[in-house]
Amino acid sequence: MKILTTVKRVTDPDMKVRIQPDQSGIVTEGVEYKMNSFDEYGVEEAITLKEAHGGEVVVVSIGPGAATKELRTAMAMGADRAILVETDADLDSDAVARVLAEVVGREEPDVIIMGKQAVDSDRSQTPQILGSYLNWPQATFAYKVEIEDGWAVVGREVDGGTATKRIKLPGIISADLRLNEPRYASLPGIMKAKRKPLETLTPDDLGVDIAPKVKVLNYEAPEERGAGEMVDDVDDLINRLKDEARVI
Amino acid sequence: MTDLFNPTEEHQVLREMVRSFAEKELEPQAEEYDRTEQFNLKLFRKLGELGLLGVTAPPEYGGSGMDATAAVIVHEELAAVDPGFCLAYLAHSMLFVNNLAVNGNDEQNQRFLPGSCSGKLVGGMCMSEPGAGTDVLGMSTVATSDGDDFILNGQKMWITNGAISDNEMGDIFLVYAKEKDRSQREISLFLVEKGMEGFSLGQKLHGKLGMRASTTAELVLEDVRVPSKNLVGTSGSAVKSMMRNLAIERVTLAAMSLGIARRCVEIMNNYASERKAFGKSINRFGQIQRHISESYAEFMAGRSYVYNVASNLDLSAFGNRVDSDGVKLYCSTMGKNVADRAIQVLGGYGYVSEYVVERLWRDAKLLEIGGGTNEAHQKNMTRDLAGLDKIR
Ligand SMILES: Cc1cc2nc3c(=O)[nH]c(=O)nc-3n(C[C@H](O)[C@H](O)[C@H](O)COP(=O)(O)OP(=O)(O)OC[C@H]3O[C@@H](n4cnc5c(N)ncnc54)[C@H](O)[C@@H]3O)c2cc1C
Repeated sequence: MKILTTVKRVTDPDMKVRIQPDQSGIVTEGVEYKMNSFDEYGVEEAITLKEAHGGEVVVVSIGPGAATKELRTAMAMGADRAILVETDADLDSDAVARVLAEVVGREEPDVIIMGKQAVDSDRSQTPQILGSYLNWPQATFAYKVEIEDGWAVVGREVDGGTATKRIKLPGIISADLRLNEPRYASLPGIMKAKRKPLETLTPDDLGVDIAPKVKVLNYEAPEERGAGEMVDDVDDLINRLKDEARVI
Repeated sequence: MTDLFNPTEEHQVLREMVRSFAEKELEPQAEEYDRTEQFNLKLFRKLGELGLLGVTAPPEYGGSGMDATAAVIVHEELAAVDPGFCLAYLAHSMLFVNNLAVNGNDEQNQRFLPGSCSGKLVGGMCMSEPGAGTDVLGMSTVATSDGDDFILNGQKMWITNGAISDNEMGDIFLVYAKEKDRSQREISLFLVEKGMEGFSLGQKLHGKLGMRASTTAELVLEDVRVPSKNLVGTSGSAVKSMMRNLAIERVTLAAMSLGIARRCVEIMNNYASERKAFGKSINRFGQIQRHISESYAEFMAGRSYVYNVASNLDLSAFGNRVDSDGVKLYCSTMGKNVADRAIQVLGGYGYVSEYVVERLWRDAKLLEIGGGTNEAHQKNMTRDLAGLDKIR
């Protein structure tokens, strides 16, 4: 089974995000970059499936040259080879999906496993848009994946509970938090990853125009949250939710 | 983006992995193991699964085959969260594993390295004695040759990993001993195993100021018969291997001070921007600014020194003494001072365990003593520097 998985290089989610004075973006000076944490679940699931069913795990990233670090991390965890589609542009989800569709055309995987969203932009769109470009079935927000006889049975986190969906492969699965516990990149894994193949392409090589469809006007920081208040009892709480917050 | 602190992509991935491991797995247990003075063996074995216990050992013996910089990265990251646990890691992976990998023969490496790289065996190194620390060649543990064997007698003190619990000793030790009736400089190195007759746990020490998540023990050797296949190197020539291993020991101890200092700078910096007094953040006050800025600058100076020395440290050579002593001399006191300022910046909150800096402050002190006291570094360095008329 050939499994394609994706990783995005994102700003460290534990750092305070600061907006540039002209509101054109966030301050990236002195910022650490990491693998998107939802992608860690995706990579882990891809490797687990390979361990159970055999085959190959190909990991893809679209981003700057420095994203080779995130690809090496995925290979140190156990992916077999990597493809970097190198661009310094900040792509919208649609452009990412168009690039991925071309990579999928070349690689012809049996299944694609992605993080359900990236923790920097939190859009949760790429897997779904990719599904429509490829005309493949998709199961998003997976907490459980089983593959047999060319079908994937996917347990999904949905509003108010869980649901199970069966999709015919090839298909797309997006990973949610409970799916697994991502392994660490072990030291022997890190040394092995050094010798695993990493191919670098550009959107041009793939014939994809990455011009955005979404235009970002400006970035603003959310309003600062005020300090919490202690209430005396439940009646007080209810009254204040009614009268002051006006939410009930 | 590689730099002095992460010279290759492998080093970057390594740092990220260890940092994430430390935050997820070390942080939640650090306070408890410090308070109860226990060694977390289960977590130690996890380091084996990740290939960290044999970070510098050759892959053919189960190690990861990485360089001194990699060892420094691991120590900086572990110590930023739990210096006590990191000290146990250091005693095992540097003082035992790296020491044996560099100085042992193939048969000895085959016998002991796979188990100690995986974490099945807990190892340590025995140099100090109740009556001899800085004056290490004044040790009184003796080895008497008896046919093909050696008979060891003496007491070893302050041995990290000497115990794994209150009454159970560690598994395997590199023990230095004087050759009977030969000159004081003729020291030999032996592999002494738990279970050898006459080798016992004298006591696990209690009441340490810091580094309480590592054990420190007294080990007793009473007519212990050690076969010659456990003699590391040739008889009487262990001073060289001792010096060789002290270099990486001191550089990684200095790296622990870096981890402590980095964490303390982060904590005081964040706290000072949030804590308000007299209507503004306390980081608007000049005296607080001095604590934060000087701490950061000293930390970065120490960090640059350590990584620079590590990048030139050949694990199998020796003769790097001025700088391996120098990094520890500078960083140990730097780490202690930075931890002290962190407590000061946090005021009363700095004095209680919840805010972590009091633990780091207690741990930081050990680094001015263990692996050579600051006075010993001053003595060694000045002796070596006296032979130089110019510094290149
Ligand atoms: C927590 C902990 C863990 C340790 N782990 C280990 C271990 O795993 N293995 C091991 O072998 N040892 C270990 N040690 C021992 C450590 O290396 C010694 O404590 C250290 O070398 C100092 O020796 P000492 O305690 O005998 O002090 P001493 O050597 O007696 O020193 C006492 C004081 O005299 C000063 N002094 C001594 N000689 C001179 C001189 N010539 N000039 C100026 N001042 C001098 C010292 O600097 C110090 O201030 C550990 C110690 C501790 C506290």
